[in-house]
Amino acid sequence: MSKRVLVVDDAAFMRMMIKNILIDGGFEIVGEAETGRDAIELYKELKPDLVTMDITMPEMDGIDAVKEILEIDKDAKIIMCSAMGQQAMVIDAIQAGAKDFVVKPFKPDRVLAAVNKLFNE
Amino acid sequence: MDTKDQYLQMFFDESAEYLQQLNENVLLLEEHPEDEEIINAVFRAAHSVKGMSATMGYERLTDLTHRMESILAKVRNKEMTINEFIIDTLFSGLDYIKLLLDDIRNNGEERTDISDYLSKLEKILNNDISIQEVLVKPEKTDLNLQDFTGMIALTEEEKEEIYNKMTSNDRIYNIRVILAEDCLLKNVRGYMILKKAQELGYLAKSNPDQREIEDEDFGDSIYIKLISALKEKQIQEELADIIDVEQVIIHVEDYKVEEKAVVEQQEAKSLVDSIKKQKDGLANIQVSPTVRVDIKKLDTLMNMVGELLINKTRLEGLNIDSDVYQDIIQQLDRVTQDLHHTVMQIRMVPIGGIFNRFPRMVRDLSKELDKKIDLIIEGADTELDRSLIDELGDPLMHIIRNSIDHGIEKPAERERKGKPATGNILLQAYQKGSEIIIEVEDDGAGINTEKVIEKAIEKGIITPDEASQMEERDKLNLIFHPGFSTSEEVTDISGRGVGMDVVRNVVETLDGQVFVESELGVGTRFTISLPLTLAITQALMVVINNEVYAIPLGSISETLLVAPEEIIQVRGQDVILLRESTIPLVEAARQLNLDIEYGKYRQLEEIPVVIINSGERQIGLIVDQMLNQQEIVIKSLGKFLVNIKNISGATIVGDGDVALILDVRNIA
Repeated sequence: MSKRVLVVDDAAFMRMMIKNILIDGGFEIVGEAETGRDAIELYKELKPDLVTMDITMPEMDGIDAVKEILEIDKDAKIIMCSAMGQQAMVIDAIQAGAKDFVVKPFKPDRVLAAVNKLFNE
Repeated sequence: MDTKDQYLQMFFDESAEYLQQLNENVLLLEEHPEDEEIINAVFRAAHSVKGMSATMGYERLTDLTHRMESILAKVRNKEMTINEFIIDTLFSGLDYIKLLLDDIRNNGEERTDISDYLSKLEKILNNDISIQEVLVKPEKTDLNLQDFTGMIALTEEEKEEIYNKMTSNDRIYNIRVILAEDCLLKNVRGYMILKKAQELGYLAKSNPDQREIEDEDFGDSIYIKLISALKEKQIQEELADIIDVEQVIIHVEDYKVEEKAVVEQQEAKSLVDSIKKQKDGLANIQVSPTVRVDIKKLDTLMNMVGELLINKTRLEGLNIDSDVYQDIIQQLDRVTQDLHHTVMQIRMVPIGGIFNRFPRMVRDLSKELDKKIDLIIEGADTELDRSLIDELGDPLMHIIRNSIDHGIEKPAERERKGKPATGNILLQAYQKGSEIIIEVEDDGAGINTEKVIEKAIEKGIITPDEASQMEERDKLNLIFHPGFSTSEEVTDISGRGVGMDVVRNVVETLDGQVFVESELGVGTRFTISLPLTLAITQALMVVINNEVYAIPLGSISETLLVAPEEIIQVRGQDVILLRESTIPLVEAARQLNLDIEYGKYRQLEEIPVVIINSGERQIGLIVDQMLNQQEIVIKSLGKFLVNIKNISGATIVGDGDVALILDVRNIA
């Protein structure tokens, strides 16, 4: 069964990008969220196998969302989606428990490499 | 202690000794190809290495030595004659043995590929003469073999802290993680690597450290020192699994938790077993009745002797009027001196340990350069403090390389000059007073000071004006100037970008001096003088402007009281005549930049003058008062006060006060 993914990003364009990459890679997109707050609600509801998480979003940013999701489910697999220049925030997210990160603009092979790695362990 | 590792350590020690023997004997064999004694000695040593390697299960080493042995057997049975080609082949074989041993030491397994070499040996064995081609020298090009442990070396305190934490299951892993060239957000990746390392064990040190990583202040590699009970393979896999990690190189460090008082019985049993096995395998190795001690323990001992000495001096300073007191002081004095002497003796090792690597080097280089050179070694049994020995190897190597490369001429040129075609390099060591002298002398072309001057002007080290006023000796000394190198083109042999200034730096950090003498067409001599020991020395205590200073006796030739009328003025400089040599006088206070009125000594009836030696130069240092001679313990001023002009350290005197030690070499 293909893995179920929740895509979190405030920009529809970015969500589209990552969705296409993941679908091509054999994943199933079960939900999309525009803010950290929505992401938490959707996580509780959907229990996805993986979350791709943007960092800067309105209402609640990605780092706080990571922290809250991990409080709900300590085994949650979250990959951060970062732009260049957000290094410090990515480090915070990893410190908080995010498993890995990918950098915008997304390259399909890199995204899939990072995602697949999580499920190989 | 891990039994396998103890076994390994013995294997390394022994095989290193055999390798040295092999190198020496193959050299001898080249000179005396018919000597059966030597052939047998080489054969035996190769055989022993083979036996040990086979016991340890190192197949390549076993194969290699086995075939070398076969060749030697043929030589011994007169089926093959020793020629230059065979000697070269044997030497390459020895180099391969060394590489394989290094592999095992660093990585725990044999990595160097020897198959080409083995097939060559095979051909020689089959008398296939056509392969008398130049053998490729084994070289360390493999990234895996590069030693990067220096990147993450620990300070003494760190070591202590970490070693104390280790259990017997723990290993120290030196890890180099190389990131992919196109790695994005390198700092985050680096952070993840550190985080992973922390999950795998205790992260003792990383270079770059966490702050530098977060600031993305690093290149393509992260060096990590990890203490972990996990297997090398697992660590390798876990780290290599991180995205953008291109390569993970792991060297397992030699250190093990040792001498833990409690050894489990199980362990003790297998230890005995392994020693027994070892003895069976290496029946013909002689074990000398010595104890191997970690040099650090000796350092500690030396420090403690120093502390004792300081307290003894303070006790003396009390100067109590009592027979019992005097008696105790005398006893104490004797005991501390003996103790100091004994500790020094223990730390001493023969300088031969570094000398014996040079014959091979001279042979290889002279061949490469088509020169004929005999290296004569004298005084290899001269003993020197262990810490000095380790540092001396490189400077000596550099000087000898220079002699071979620039000093000794090619045979044809030598004959044209009426010299024997074979050049000589004399390497000798001897003790002179409280100093050890090491000389490297060649009968080569000598140093052309005109060329030195030209070069120095060209490099902007001196101006033509200065050059015209320079004495011959100062001209020669220009070769020690940073950024100076006489070699026109950079050759493989010496001009490696490090010049004689590096030699001088190293020697001076050891509190020694280096001189050069040279005569054009006749030869050159480099002299290195070193103190016997670094930590404790005899000194003359003097007073300069109400402060006590120590002057090491090693640099003092005599002390005088000079009457003002004996002072003569030469070109505005005060000098005295001492046994027909003119000695310039220098006021110590002025040298130290003390804020007092200079020149007052002229009004004294007797002026205390300390005659100081620096190389061939002598100078009279004017002090206010000479106190006494005493043993001092040299303490460094600490890292914030390095390179203070004219002060080399400090010591604690009898009353507990600190006295500065004058660095008189710079004054003279």
